Amino acid sequence: MNKIITIIKREYKETVFKKGFIILTLLIPVFMIGVTIIPALLIELESDTPLTVNVVDESGLVAAPLQSSLTDTLKNGQPKFILNIIRSGTETGQLVDAQKSLIEKELIDGLLYIPASVLDSNRIEFYARNVSDFQTNRTLNRAVEKIIIDYRLKNSGFDPQIVQGLITDITLRTVKIQKGGKERDSDFTSEYFSTFIFVLILYMTLIVYGTSIMRSIIQEKSNKVVEVILASVKPIQLMAGKILGQGLVGLTQYAIWSIVAIGISLGGSSFIPMKGNGLMNISTVTMIWFVVYYVLGYFLYSGMYSIIGVATTSDQEAQQASMPITLLLVVPLLVLTTLVKNPDSSLITGLSYIPFFSPIIMFARINMSAPAAMEIILSLVILIVSIIGVIWLAAKVYRMGILMTGKRANLPEIMRWIRAK
Amino acid sequence: MPILNISHISKSYGSYKAVDDVSFTVERGSVYGVLGPNGAGKTTTIRMIMNILLPDEGRITLFDTAMNDTLKNRIGYLPEERGLYPKMKVLDMLVFLGELHLMPGDLASHKALEWLKRLGLEEQKEKKVEELSKGMQQKVQIIGSLLHDPELIILDEPFSGLDPVNTNLIKDIILELKVSGKAIMLSTHMMETAEKLCDRVMMINHGKVVLQGALQPILMDHGKSSIQVEYSGDASFVSGLPMVETADIYGNYLEVRLKEGSSRNDFIGQLLKNIEVHSFKTMQSSLNEIFITLAGENPNE
Repeated sequence: MNKIITIIKREYKETVFKKGFIILTLLIPVFMIGVTIIPALLIELESDTPLTVNVVDESGLVAAPLQSSLTDTLKNGQPKFILNIIRSGTETGQLVDAQKSLIEKELIDGLLYIPASVLDSNRIEFYARNVSDFQTNRTLNRAVEKIIIDYRLKNSGFDPQIVQGLITDITLRTVKIQKGGKERDSDFTSEYFSTFIFVLILYMTLIVYGTSIMRSIIQEKSNKVVEVILASVKPIQLMAGKILGQGLVGLTQYAIWSIVAIGISLGGSSFIPMKGNGLMNISTVTMIWFVVYYVLGYFLYSGMYSIIGVATTSDQEAQQASMPITLLLVVPLLVLTTLVKNPDSSLITGLSYIPFFSPIIMFARINMSAPAAMEIILSLVILIVSIIGVIWLAAKVYRMGILMTGKRANLPEIMRWIRAK
Repeated sequence: MPILNISHISKSYGSYKAVDDVSFTVERGSVYGVLGPNGAGKTTTIRMIMNILLPDEGRITLFDTAMNDTLKNRIGYLPEERGLYPKMKVLDMLVFLGELHLMPGDLASHKALEWLKRLGLEEQKEKKVEELSKGMQQKVQIIGSLLHDPELIILDEPFSGLDPVNTNLIKDIILELKVSGKAIMLSTHMMETAEKLCDRVMMINHGKVVLQGALQPILMDHGKSSIQVEYSGDASFVSGLPMVETADIYGNYLEVRLKEGSSRNDFIGQLLKNIEVHSFKTMQSSLNEIFITLAGENPNE
């Protein structure tokens, strides 16, 4: 046991203080901060100059009310839109062309064109150098829309004020029912994002730490250090030490990430524009399941990857030989959309019992819907039995194959190792 | 008393018999040499002693106990294929190896520093293994196998890759360990080294024992003695003498090998009659020559 601890200590120290680990650990939070904070910051840093928009209104209905209804202001209190109403006897085509050239010369920022036929065609036009400013487009569109609708209502004898009151939107509040009758406010985006992010992290860390076990076995074989180690420990102790050590490295990484995530949601919520539930609405229960499934999935996959590591002699060979295993990990990603839409479909339920997929899929199901306790237990039992089987096989292969350097082992040879006493 | 007892072990890889019915014992305070060319079965034998491979047949007893993994802590093993973690610092690497033999960390560190000092590597203790020269790595590896003060020391080709100065240093250490009562098993294909260090030797070839026993009797029994003479005069008659088997004759130096059972005195008598003898020396043939003769009698199957 002491020897396993010595090996765990070495694996842990030598990985955690390595550049690769530090970089990956730092990059992911930077990425997380990037996707959550940068859009918020961009909105904050929105330009402080008002937009000069010329309005050509052939219908004569819109221009005047628009001036009074477009009251958006910039942060410094100035109005956001400066509207110039262009009245001209010239032919429309010419007028619009003249305005367009003003835009080109940056004398004005945009042209809002309301054709005479707007009541029939329901169409207006906006010309600008930048038409991808979603918010500006929407503000203008809404404002004109409201004016036209109010005009039609009045014409038909309705009081727009009353109608407005009558057609108020109904808001849908979604509440998730959890085990034990607890309820929590929730919505699709929150469910989708937290599941999606967790599934990606599971997928990534299972591949990263599984293949790192594989590569470190190959390295030990090519350094020849493995024989020195086997002079004092049993092959099974070496394998156990390596798998546990790398697993702890993964957990350490999760711990660092969680701290960063909690930090962001506590410190950052004041200036991140998130209404109601944040995108990362993570409960403790979710976190616990996440760690449970990471640990189990990690044992299963590191066992499989270590068999490849023992049987191959170089990183390139191992990369090829481990393709099938990596593909197994990709399957949950392929069904991810189905999973998010309908976590209790028979396809997803079926996959959540297969040990290769259950670490990711059962976790996602638990997060999205509420599978029966029996379902979870059954899937866990199948997974754990499979882990024991894989580790047992890996230990056999490890014992026989670890000193076979030089050539890649084929399947019959691996079968021989497994059968050897 | 023997602390390692190997009794009729065999190991096959498929149809190839790597080790075939090998038996020997290693005693405290002695150096046992396992000799043979590359591929003779030396490393397989050692791996079976280390319980890394299991013998197909035969028994290995260490400290009067059937070999098992807990005994490994009392063995120091320098494998033929050297290996250290290239990215680890020298001292960390040694402490790791010490801890694998159940030494407490600070004791391992203390001992490692002592050894590093002794082998002139003190300044390298904080360097990464990969920054050291091959010879230095070799010395670090040797320290790794001696750190935990093992009772049985198994050294597989300990001198390969060392310069003459370091070879001497390691040789002194081996002899010192022997005097302090350790049992040492030395595997090498360098017969001259074995001749200088070993008390008993075993020669193996193609997995089979060709010869084994105490060094001196082996040299006496199997070595044909050659005679070297410095002289002046005409020595061409020597090759025609009845008792001479082979003769190399140079202008003022000759080397002959006499037929078995013939008398050295008769030969000297002939020399005295015909030439002026300046010096006369009989030489035993080396282990190397003995091995080549014996292995030659059993050419590759």
